[in-house]
Amino acid sequence: MGKNRTIIAPATVPGRGGVSIIRMSGELSKSIAEGMCGELAEAWRFKRCSIKSRGGSKIDDGMVVFFKSPNSYTGDDVVEFHCHGNPTIVNLVVEEAVNRGAVVAEPGEFTKTAFLNEKIDLVQAESVADLINAQSKTAVVAANSSLSGQFSEQINWLLDGIVKARVVVEANIDFPEEEVDGSVLESVKEELQGFHAEINKLLSRVKEGVKLRDGYSVAIVGPPNAGKSSLLNLLAREDLAITSEVPGTTRDLVKTSVNVGGVLIEFVDTAGVRHNPEGPIEEEGIQRSKEAIKKSNLSLLVQDATSIQGFDVGLGDSLTVLNKSDLLEGEFSNEDNIFYLSCSTGEGVEELLRALILRLGIDEGEETVFLSRQRHEISLRSGGLFLEEAIMSLGEGQVLELVAESLRSSHAALGDIIRPMSADDLLGEIFSEFCIGK
Amino acid sequence: MDKYDVIVIGGGHAGIEAADACSRFGVNTLLITHDKTKIGEMSCNPAIGGIGKSHLAKEVDALGGLMARATDKAGIHYRVLNSTKGQAVRATRVQTDRELYKNAIQNFLSSSANLTIKEGSVVDLDIDDSIIQSVITEKGERLFSNSVILTTGTFLGGVMHTGLEQSSGGRMGDPSSDKLAQKLRGLNLKVGRLKTGTPPRLNKYSIDWSLLSPQPGDTPTPLLSYTSLASERPEQLNCYMTRTNQTTHQVILNHLDESPMYSGVIEGVGPRYCPSIEDKVMRFSERDSHQIFAEPEGLNSDLIYPNGISTSLPLRAQEELIKSIKGFENAKIVRPGYAIEYDFFDPTGLKHSLETKTISGLFFAGQINGTTGYEEAAAQGIMAGINASLRATNQEAFELQRDEAYIGVLIDDLVSLGTKEPYRMFTSRAEYRLILREDNADMRLTEKGRKLGIVSDLLWKKYQDKRDATTQEILRLKKYKLNPNTPEAKKIKEQTGECISKNISLFEMLKRPKVLHSHLPQGKIPLALNAVDEIEASVKYEGYIKRQKIDIERLQRNENTPIPQHIDYEKVVGLSNEVKQKLSEARPGSLARASRLPGVTPAAISLLMIYLKKERQAVG
Repeated sequence: MGKNRTIIAPATVPGRGGVSIIRMSGELSKSIAEGMCGELAEAWRFKRCSIKSRGGSKIDDGMVVFFKSPNSYTGDDVVEFHCHGNPTIVNLVVEEAVNRGAVVAEPGEFTKTAFLNEKIDLVQAESVADLINAQSKTAVVAANSSLSGQFSEQINWLLDGIVKARVVVEANIDFPEEEVDGSVLESVKEELQGFHAEINKLLSRVKEGVKLRDGYSVAIVGPPNAGKSSLLNLLAREDLAITSEVPGTTRDLVKTSVNVGGVLIEFVDTAGVRHNPEGPIEEEGIQRSKEAIKKSNLSLLVQDATSIQGFDVGLGDSLTVLNKSDLLEGEFSNEDNIFYLSCSTGEGVEELLRALILRLGIDEGEETVFLSRQRHEISLRSGGLFLEEAIMSLGEGQVLELVAESLRSSHAALGDIIRPMSADDLLGEIFSEFCIGK
Repeated sequence: MDKYDVIVIGGGHAGIEAADACSRFGVNTLLITHDKTKIGEMSCNPAIGGIGKSHLAKEVDALGGLMARATDKAGIHYRVLNSTKGQAVRATRVQTDRELYKNAIQNFLSSSANLTIKEGSVVDLDIDDSIIQSVITEKGERLFSNSVILTTGTFLGGVMHTGLEQSSGGRMGDPSSDKLAQKLRGLNLKVGRLKTGTPPRLNKYSIDWSLLSPQPGDTPTPLLSYTSLASERPEQLNCYMTRTNQTTHQVILNHLDESPMYSGVIEGVGPRYCPSIEDKVMRFSERDSHQIFAEPEGLNSDLIYPNGISTSLPLRAQEELIKSIKGFENAKIVRPGYAIEYDFFDPTGLKHSLETKTISGLFFAGQINGTTGYEEAAAQGIMAGINASLRATNQEAFELQRDEAYIGVLIDDLVSLGTKEPYRMFTSRAEYRLILREDNADMRLTEKGRKLGIVSDLLWKKYQDKRDATTQEILRLKKYKLNPNTPEAKKIKEQTGECISKNISLFEMLKRPKVLHSHLPQGKIPLALNAVDEIEASVKYEGYIKRQKIDIERLQRNENTPIPQHIDYEKVVGLSNEVKQKLSEARPGSLARASRLPGVTPAAISLLMIYLKKERQAVG
């Protein structure tokens, strides 16, 4: 089926349900899968296996199945990994395949390949076009929203730095007879080392799960001592907010990001709002709560199920959580916007999260958000590797054109994240920086 | 009836290569030019090559063209630039004797088979049903051909500026082709305006050479052409260098209001990389000095070309400016510098074959397409010549891709993106720079040229010898194992500091940065220098080249998916109006070319791919 690139993407929504399926299509599929899982069973048969990284460490136990071309979804060789439904595991499997030569699929690329290989008939062509368009739009939104302001600021800073280095290197190459300051070249190595360190820092933060994007934000509000902080702690499974029996303990906003179905949601714990605030500090906290509500996509109004109080701050879109359901006697059941839950036993939290996902409309864009995040990470990593190569070349006294080549590759990789740059743009930078021309 | 297979209009560097390529191809060709004695004239500085440009010149040479061979017959000062920065960016720059160059070109052309050269001025083109039919000269002669190449350079609507004085013309002393310009303006092709300039020429004997620093050429002296012999080269000269100073800069500032550029008279866009001295002083005011190369115009010429001070100030100011420079205190200006504004045709109106999209059989090459430089012109000339010949013999167009040649980068940049300033080649424009080297232009192109029938037996033999020697030598390097503690290993350690701790092939040894081919035990048959270059580059850069090859392969699929010329983009489902408009205007020939257009997203390419597939299925 020709030399299609080998593409990979989760076929199921990551983080949902017990099993995630990751699909890989293209001529390298089989060899990549064999590198990760050992020899595969005959075509169309499942094999139980450990999925391993290149270093030999186990990523997950799961199953793998090989669909031989042309009898597969796309018509090319296809491999499916069935692993545990954990976003981190899905992430690692995709990453490993990419390390071995696969690329993360473009929006609609599997379907497109299927169409081009005549696995889907002519009548469906237009729906394929629609699908690609729809997914690309979501991808654009997702790509934008998967970058938090801070993250893109750092990438921009890195790009600026690498462009500056390239300007010096390329000017040295393209204008050797001009008086391009050679001493500038010497400082380049040091600067590149700084950028490389920064990329590694960014990468480790991405790995730790710190959000790349300004995604969804949910404010937790309610009267004092209803258990807002306990709910946050339950969601985060960490003691982040100080909880105590004294009403009005949480004066500052406490934020934490929780991975819900593969998507990060930022929960903002606010101070309890009362009719008669005691003193200026609490008043300030209340003001901040109101702002947090304004900035969030949705609010969770937390009430003590045993003593529901009046709460007259404008909420916008909201769900009501009745906490301390374990202390209630008699029958109770969730209604449209009302959820019973116990922060001390954890009962009811699953239902709440499901409702949240529905309510935030995460459902549709989720997969593409996951993928664009993955692409960013991959671009960042390969940008870092090429930068390392450039630094090594400089250290070994390699010829300048090899340094230039590594920098070009690094620039291209990082540029994929936010702003690609043409050769002519770079020349423009050179001409504005140096007095070129005899 | 005067009927030719191909008519070439213009005897500049594009026209020369176009006419010569046609003649080698074997089609009946006519070259029309104002003045036969000016064929091969170098109207700017008499130098060929330099970074990116030497690559183009060698590629033209590898396809059998004239430029490099003529350069070696006229080269009086050779330098290899970037010799320490890597093989791909290494570039030969040759200072030439203007007269010798012109003579060499004219001699080559006069012995070309199938070529008629005619003096005349073309004033009209006869176009019927969007196909070129004939050209009409000022004497009313009608010359017939269905393949016409226009290489009229800056002669279209040219205006020269010296200070605030203007005159019409394409080069000092030559009339501009106004009538033809008018005709072309009526053809519904997009026209833009550009600007370029030259420095004043100085009298050699009026310069105090003892105050300038000499710049000798390189030894051993290289050659530009794959087929030239060292014995063809004339005697070698030195170049000299001096600098501007603060007085010079003050003179310029004092006269700035008389500069046509700064007073707003000139509207054309000048090149960013070749600024006038006015520009340099204004834009880089922190610099108190700029370098000037005093380049001889020829062995017997009294003229000196002071490279670095292109200017359009009035003569009086130019005199003052020159006198302020060390060594030029008593220098006499023989010809003042000037700026020239001229028309060019937006090259996005061309196909990759350099044929216009709207008029069949009409080809454009050289400065008319917005480029600058002899080498850029020659590269387009040879391609237009090949394609006009192919058209005349009903064959498919010949194109070079971005990973095959700088010629491919040049033409693809022009026809896909157009240009806002005079386009000049730089190595940073080539994404596959490591593959496109001076040393392997023949490896990349000569076989293609031979297939077209435009490569001489001499070049073909040299190419085959080099190709076979290279293959043999690489085999030897892979087979030959070095053992530790042998005299050979010790010798390498002495020379390079590289230790050999276990058996290792010469091939692996050569991958180490400090090890050169000359450090290794040699084979029985001595290798030509350019074969050694080719071997070193392909061994040392193996990893990088592999990486670039993967990129290229990925693009290849799209490169090989043609888009029919008459596709109706309105019918492609899902494309945004903006993308539809862009594609309809540019009419890219392949998916890869479509993907390089600014604003065309991967999703749009997918949609296009699906549409094309659907169309094919519907037809099949």
